[in-house]
Amino acid sequence: MFTDRTWAGAGGARPPRLLAAFAVLALIVSACAGSTASPSTSSAAPAGAPSGSAAAPVSPGASAAGYTGPEATISYSIWGDPQEIKNQQAIVDAFHAANPKITVNVTVSDWEPYWDKLQTSIAGGDAPDVFAMDGPLFPDYQSRDVLLDLKPFIDRDGYDLTQLADQAVADFTTPDGQFGLPRDLNVVALYYNKKMFDAAGIPYPDETWDWAKLAEVAKKLTIKDASGKTTQWGFYTETTDMENYWSELVWQNGGDIISADHTKSLVGSDQATGGIQVLQDLIWKDKVMPDASITDALGDAFEQGQAAMESNGSWLVATHQAAGIDFGIAPLPKGPAGQATSINPTGAVVYKGTKNPDAAWEFVKYLASPAAQTKLMELKASLPANKEVLSGPFATSFEGAQVLVDAIDYAHIKPSFKGYNDWTIALQNELDTNVFNAPNKTVKQAITDVLPDLDGILAGQ
Amino acid sequence: MAALTRARRPGPRRGGGSLVREGRWALVFLAPTLLGLAVLSAGPILATLAISLTKWDLLTAPKLIGLDNYAALLSDDRFLKALRNTFFYTIVSVPIGLAIALGLAAALNTKVRGISFIRTAYFLPVVTSTIAIALVWQYIYSANGGLLNEVLGVFGIPAQKWLSDPTLAMPSIVAMSIWQGLGVNVIIFLAGLQGIPTDLLDAASVDGAGTRARFRHVTLPLLTPSIFFTGVLSMISAFQVFDQIFVLVKPRPTDATITVVYFIYENGFKTFKMGYASAASWVLFLIVALFTAIYFWSQRRWVYYQ
Repeated sequence: MFTDRTWAGAGGARPPRLLAAFAVLALIVSACAGSTASPSTSSAAPAGAPSGSAAAPVSPGASAAGYTGPEATISYSIWGDPQEIKNQQAIVDAFHAANPKITVNVTVSDWEPYWDKLQTSIAGGDAPDVFAMDGPLFPDYQSRDVLLDLKPFIDRDGYDLTQLADQAVADFTTPDGQFGLPRDLNVVALYYNKKMFDAAGIPYPDETWDWAKLAEVAKKLTIKDASGKTTQWGFYTETTDMENYWSELVWQNGGDIISADHTKSLVGSDQATGGIQVLQDLIWKDKVMPDASITDALGDAFEQGQAAMESNGSWLVATHQAAGIDFGIAPLPKGPAGQATSINPTGAVVYKGTKNPDAAWEFVKYLASPAAQTKLMELKASLPANKEVLSGPFATSFEGAQVLVDAIDYAHIKPSFKGYNDWTIALQNELDTNVFNAPNKTVKQAITDVLPDLDGILAGQ
Repeated sequence: MAALTRARRPGPRRGGGSLVREGRWALVFLAPTLLGLAVLSAGPILATLAISLTKWDLLTAPKLIGLDNYAALLSDDRFLKALRNTFFYTIVSVPIGLAIALGLAAALNTKVRGISFIRTAYFLPVVTSTIAIALVWQYIYSANGGLLNEVLGVFGIPAQKWLSDPTLAMPSIVAMSIWQGLGVNVIIFLAGLQGIPTDLLDAASVDGAGTRARFRHVTLPLLTPSIFFTGVLSMISAFQVFDQIFVLVKPRPTDATITVVYFIYENGFKTFKMGYASAASWVLFLIVALFTAIYFWSQRRWVYYQ
């Protein structure tokens, strides 16, 4: 059963063994394919790296016109729902049409198993050639030397990084090199249900809103029935991750999450705790937002048409549209320190042990190209990382898209550091238990209690 | 019984030589399983012992750190909490689960129309995936309009937060697990009940024993091997509880329901601490081994073999 599998997984031998078997199979298959393929016809670009070592790319004079190496099959792994595979397949097919010598196999997994599989396949030496990387988790992988530095490829091809959103590029840059290109990015904004605002005769939220205005309108839009049961909530957000709202509140209050050198947690400052306190008050003091026991079963109250406003990510545009909600998008309400939101890029990275670094690079480059980015844009799953698409067709592709694009200017990058999972589990556990799910403690008290653990985790990295 | 049957069976296989041959054949048939166990289970299990002595993030080379992981576990509040939750789960779910299964088996051990349908119904949860079951129970336990709260509401009992209230969450999961695991134990008890010779029960009747006395003094003692067997299986799987927790309450990373195996999963696969996770799994293994040993040792005091 499930439990047994977990045990085997903890032993670490079963999945890699299986994977190793597949790897051998894959090798045989690709070797056969390789033997029939004609070698590169271009004299200028011996771009292949058949040794398998992820060495620096060859021949700086290679043309930027396209891939000229031997035929190659690369694997590309992403997280997402099954629907996603169809979308990604369309992008991959277009890539194959432009680069007939490269075949890309896409696999899609759920968020949780995606990381389990990725770790075990890297440990087994058979990771996908190209895979999706979450901004915050990037340092945990990059620092362990499993990602290929793309800087030599960028230099060779004269690839222009400034065509991509700057913060998103920076998230995958380290002093050692450039370890991925952003594929897409997400910002957080305020969704509002137009019907509910119209029914109450309240003007839609705009960039003049601040925290006080949010609480005031949320109260007005919270409706109870005769028995005292709330039938419409003024506000909704997710409390289980900082990105949905609480990190934004910290920044809007002039605080920060973690020091720039990643050695000290800053969530204990008065600005930080004061910001998070706003969220606890919305749930437990103003009671304009459903608490966890309700949302556990209800899901996204805004999507269910039971909440008038929601602070959440741009990834929900398509979901809310599919749910038939007539909504608008506004900037998050300002705090005492002004406007702030969160930006979080997803990148495409290359496995350091890839047998086809050139083909992998070609594909990563393609994912960030206007052609692929336009396809991504049509999914409304997130914002394109390519500036040309971002400020061009995307900004007018749906109502409120411009608000999301503008938000990038005042967005803070979602914290990204080694030990991110460890640190956030400890912090979220305390916040969920004692602040958001039940008002057992003030935010100040809760963070004071958990701060030694948090800094202990950072010290242990 | 078994010996009798064999003696009665006609055929050429007789004497000590055939036993040896039988033994060989038994080995041949067991070989695939034994091989699988050795390669796929024993190997990895021993590997975790080695891994538990290292600091290993799965992606870079492991670093030998001796017993540091074990020392760290002892002062890790989260691990201790996981241990407490796991013990609570085991101590509550195993005896209650067995008692209910025994009662049900006794009730189902009758010859009425449709009894096989009813028996099947009790077995259904066993062959249903935990994911599907957990999703149904998520609805039952929902704090807002969930089935359980609606039913209790009829009796004027206020709505409870079954899964998000730290004091209720674990008992709620125990209740679901008992229901889910009932079928296996019921089947084993049913088989045990049907293996009880009717002549013994008849003899007891003749001696004037009533239904209760017959159950207490004939059925129950003869059922102790089944109880022993289901007990050891239930206990070991209870110590390893994971899937219910993973599906039902995972979105809330509160410690109220963290169990040891969940702790192992989280450390190994989410926070890059495979060495630490391996150490935790060895601590769990030793605990399970210890309790199983005590349980086996205790059987001579209460288990009657025919």
